[in-house]
Amino acid sequence: MSTVVKQTINFKYNGQDMSAPEGTVVLDAAKRAGHFITNLCSNPKLKPFAACRTCMVDVREEGEKKLVYSCTHPVSEGMEIFTETEETNRYNGACLEMLLVEHPLDCPICDKSGVCPLQDNTDALKLYNGRFEIKRRNEPSIKTNPIIEFYLNRCIMCGMCVRICDEIQGVQALDYHKRGYQITIGTANEEPLDCEFCGQCITVCPTGALMDLTSEARGLAAMFTETLSTCNFCSWGCTVRLETKKGKLIRIEGDETFDLGINEGNLCAKGRFGHGIVQNEKRIQTPMMNVGGDFKEISWSEAIDMIAERMNTQVNRSGPTSIAGIAGEKMTNEEAYLFQKLFRGVHGSNQITNLQHLRAPYINRFQEKCFENGIVSKPITELEHADAVLIFNSDIPSEYPVAGNSIRKGAIYTGTDILIANPRRVVFNNEAQVDIRMTYKAGADLAVASRLARILIDNGIVDTAKVKTAVPNYDDLVKSLAPYTAEATEALTGVSDSVLVRAAERFGRTADRVILIGNDVLETGHGDAILDSLLNISILVHHGAEGSVSIYPPREHANSQGIQDMGCTPENLPGSARIDDAEALGRLKTIWDLKELKLDQEDFVSNLWANCSQGHVKMLYIAGEDPIRSYYKSAPVVGALKTVPFLVVQDLYWTDSCQLADLVLPTTSFAEKDGTVTNMSRHVQKIQSAVLPEGQSRPDFEIFSDIAEACGKPFSTFDVKEVQDEIVQAAPSYKGMFPGRKSKQWQPEKSGDHAAFSPVNEWVEPEANESFPFKLITNNHMFHIGGYTHYAKALVDIGPECIAEVNREDAKNLNLNDGDRVRVESDTHSVEVAVAISSRSTTGVIYVPKNWTEVPVNKMRNGHEGLVAVKISKVG
Amino acid sequence: MTEATDSAEATMDAPPESPEEKKICMTTFYEILDSFPERARRYLIPMMTRLQNEFRFLPPELMEILKDELNISRAEIFGVISFYPQFRTVEPGKYIFKLCYGTACYVKGAPLIATKLKEKFNMGKGETDPTKLFTLEFASCLGNCGAAPMAIIDADTFGNIDPEKTYSDVTDKYSL
Repeated sequence: MSTVVKQTINFKYNGQDMSAPEGTVVLDAAKRAGHFITNLCSNPKLKPFAACRTCMVDVREEGEKKLVYSCTHPVSEGMEIFTETEETNRYNGACLEMLLVEHPLDCPICDKSGVCPLQDNTDALKLYNGRFEIKRRNEPSIKTNPIIEFYLNRCIMCGMCVRICDEIQGVQALDYHKRGYQITIGTANEEPLDCEFCGQCITVCPTGALMDLTSEARGLAAMFTETLSTCNFCSWGCTVRLETKKGKLIRIEGDETFDLGINEGNLCAKGRFGHGIVQNEKRIQTPMMNVGGDFKEISWSEAIDMIAERMNTQVNRSGPTSIAGIAGEKMTNEEAYLFQKLFRGVHGSNQITNLQHLRAPYINRFQEKCFENGIVSKPITELEHADAVLIFNSDIPSEYPVAGNSIRKGAIYTGTDILIANPRRVVFNNEAQVDIRMTYKAGADLAVASRLARILIDNGIVDTAKVKTAVPNYDDLVKSLAPYTAEATEALTGVSDSVLVRAAERFGRTADRVILIGNDVLETGHGDAILDSLLNISILVHHGAEGSVSIYPPREHANSQGIQDMGCTPENLPGSARIDDAEALGRLKTIWDLKELKLDQEDFVSNLWANCSQGHVKMLYIAGEDPIRSYYKSAPVVGALKTVPFLVVQDLYWTDSCQLADLVLPTTSFAEKDGTVTNMSRHVQKIQSAVLPEGQSRPDFEIFSDIAEACGKPFSTFDVKEVQDEIVQAAPSYKGMFPGRKSKQWQPEKSGDHAAFSPVNEWVEPEANESFPFKLITNNHMFHIGGYTHYAKALVDIGPECIAEVNREDAKNLNLNDGDRVRVESDTHSVEVAVAISSRSTTGVIYVPKNWTEVPVNKMRNGHEGLVAVKISKVG
Repeated sequence: MTEATDSAEATMDAPPESPEEKKICMTTFYEILDSFPERARRYLIPMMTRLQNEFRFLPPELMEILKDELNISRAEIFGVISFYPQFRTVEPGKYIFKLCYGTACYVKGAPLIATKLKEKFNMGKGETDPTKLFTLEFASCLGNCGAAPMAIIDADTFGNIDPEKTYSDVTDKYSL
C-alpha cells in the first residue's frame, strides 16, 4: 500500500449499503462487489475514457438527481446509485443499438463469441429487434504481422487497445486514424505492426476485432476448455489461462478476473504466444540411450532400471558423493523436492545444485540477510501501489515485461516515481512525474549503488542516529563508503552527481519503495557486492526513514526461487534451513523415516564442472537444463559433460547437453503437469495440466518416484497433494502456501533477528584492454528466454534473428550500417552477428541477446569473471 | 539533436529522383521547433502547422524526427495528421486550388468546375495533377457566397467564375 492513505466512502447501490476506497468510479465499485452494469469501454487497469456511452446510471448526490456515466463518475459519501432504471436503459440501449447497426454479427466465427461484452450487454438490455436499418461494414481483415489480426468490421471504437498499448505497455503502436465515419484503429500509415507483441490489445478487445493469429482454432472461445495455470518462462509468475479444444492447446490468454494472480490479465509476448513449445513434434518422444554415439530408443522401464542400478552401484562403490544432480529451474516445487529427496534421502548424497546457485551462491545468502535485517518485502501485487521503484540494471520490457505493466499503472494511479539505473539506455516509456535515469558506464553498478548509500547518509536523507542505534556495524558501512565521493563516483560511473542526489532524495523520502534487481548484475562478476550494497541502501531507509522497502533477489526462470526453497543446493535443506541445522536434519530424518541422515560430506558440487572433469563426480543427473547453452560460460561445462562417466539428461527438447548424455529422458512441459512454482517475490502459485503429455514423455514427478522405487527405497508419496503435505512438514515456511485459486507469498519463520550492514570492498575499475575495447552485455531477448522459445513458431516469427545493438557513434567509427554483419571477438571465441544501430546502447557497449544457438555468447568468456571485453569488426 | 540531424540527412540523400530538390533544410526545421517554449507533445499541432506553412506539406522524414523530438510514437503523430484533412503528407502541386463547395457555389456550378478540372488536369478531390501544377482541394464554404461560384488559388481569389470558361478565365493564368 502506498503511504498515501485513501479514505473509505460509503454509499448505497440500488438500496444496498456499500463502500469503496476514495476515487473509485461507480462502475469499478459495482464490479468489485459482483454487480453488473452495462459497459463496453471500461477496464479497471485503464484511465476512465467514456467512449461507448452505455454505462449510464442514475445517482442522487446531495439531494440532486443526476444521470452520469458510471465509468467516469467517482463514488461520494452518501451517494445513492440506481441502475437499470427505465431512463438509463433507454439511453444505454439507444447507444448500443447504433453500434449494432454496423457490427457484422458474425458470432459463430468470432473469437469472442460467448465471452463478448457486446453480446452480454445486448442481452441485458433486451435489444432483440433493432429499430435501425442494418448497414454492415465489409472491409478485408488485415494480416500484415504474424501475430495479431485486425478485423476492424467488428471494431466498436472503444479505444481499449489504443489505451492499453499506451498506458499499460508504454508502446503506443496503435492509435485512432482519420475521423468521423472513416475512423479506424491502426498503425501509422497502415504499416505492419511492429511492437512488443504483448497482445494486451487482444485481451482487452471486447468484440474480437483484434485476434490472436497463433490460435489454432477460430470462433466460440466460450466452448474452449479453460485451465488456469502459471506461466513457465520468466520468474515473474503470471497467471495464464490455457485454452484447449479437443485435447489440443489452442492458445494462452490473460485472465482479467479481479484479484486473480499477480498480473491482472497482463501477459508478455513469451507468455501469450509461446504455447508452441507445448505440443510440438520436435519434442523428445521416447527415452533414448547413447550407444557409441548413436541414440537408440529404449523403454521407460529399461531407462529407469538403468539409472537406479547405476546410482546404487556408484554409491556402493565410490560413496554417495560420487553422484550429483542439477535441478532445472523450471521444475515444480514438488518435483524439486523429490529430486533432492532422491539424492539426500535415498542415496545420502548432498551433491545437488542448480545453475543459478552454481553461478551465484550468494543470492540465497542475500535473501537470508534481507530477512535477518527485517526486510521481508511485500508481495509483488503491491508493486502498483509503490511510491518509488528503483529498477537496478534490469531491462524491464525484456526481463520482467509484466512488472513494467504494474509500474506504469502505479505511475498513473499512485504517482510512483521511477528510478532506472542501467548501463544501457533502456526504453521504458511511462507517465511518471519523476523518471530519473542513471545511465552509467558498463560495469560500474557497485559505484552507483554505493554512492546512493553515501548520499542517503551524507545529505541527512535518512535519520543516521536511528540507523546507528538499530544496526551495530553502521560505522563499518560509513568507512567502506569513504571512497565514493561525488567527484570520484562521477569519474567512475559517468553519471552526474546531481542525478544521483535527486534519485537518493526521491528514494529516501517517506514512501513505499521497491527495488527490482536485474539478472544482469551477475554478469559484472561482483554480483555479491552489488546485492550487498543495494541491501545496505534498503537497511538505511528501513531503519532511518518512514515507509517501507521491498527488495527481491534476481531470479531468471519460472521456479528459480522455488528450487532454492526446496533445498536443491548443497548449502540448504528444504525450507532454506542451513545444511548443518541439526533440528531441520532431525525433522527430515523423521519425515523420510531414515535411520541416519549424514550430509556433512565433501562438497564437490559447488565446483561441479572441475570435479566432473577431475573424476570426482561419476554420475551426473541433469533434470531439465542445458548447461552448455545456459550456463554463463560454456567451456568448462563441455569438458565436464564429456568426462563424466554417466550422464542423464531430462528435457523437453534435444539440446547440446543431450548430445553428450548417456541417457536422455523426455519430460513434460508446464501445461502437462500439476504442481506449484514460486516466483521471485516468493508467491507460491499453482500450475495445472491442460493437455496430455507429448509422445511418451512423463512428468519429472513420476520419473523421480519411479527411480526411487527402482532403487529399492520407494517414496511414501503418490501424488502432488501428498508431496505438498510432506513439504509443509519439511519446510514450515510453506505451511498454508499451497494455493487453491488465490496465491500467497511465503513468509520467513523469523525476521529482523540480526541487523547488520554488509560493507563491501572498494570497487576498482578493471583496466581497459586496448585490443578489446568494447564491453559485451548479454541477456534474454524480449521474445526469447532459455532454449525452448525457439520452438514456438510465433516467437520465432517475431524474433527470428539475433541482432546486436551498437551505439550510433561507435557504428560511425566502425563504418557500420543497420543490418551489417559483424564479428564480435573476445580472447577465446568469436561470433558473427547482424548489427543494428540503436540509441539503447551506450558508447563502448555492444549488446548481444544470448538466446540464439548460432550466436553462443557464453563461449566468449574465458575463465575470468566480469563483463567480457570484445572487439568488433565488420564482416565482408 | 545531432543524432537526429544525421539520420535525416542520411534518409534525405537516399531517394534517387532529384536529390537536390528533396533536400530539406534542417536549420529551418529546428528554428521552428525552437520558437516554441519547449519541445513537448502539447505543441504538436502548432508545430506541424508552422512546418507545413514552411515546407508546404509535412515530409514523412521530418515527422520521424519530430516524433523523436517530442517523444511520441509514429502511430500517434500519424493519427493526428490523418485526423486533420488540412495536413498533407505528400508534396502538393505548385498551386493549391481551393474550390468552394458551399451550398451557393454548389448551386451555381462548382460541380461543373470540378468536372472541367478532372477532364483537363485529371485531378479529383484532394489530388494533384500529373504535372504538379495544381492540387485540388474542396472547401466547405469560403465565405464569399455573393460571388458564387468561387475559388481561391494560392492567394488569388476568383469570383463569379463562369464554369464554361474555367480554363480561359482561371487555370490558363497559371503555369509551372
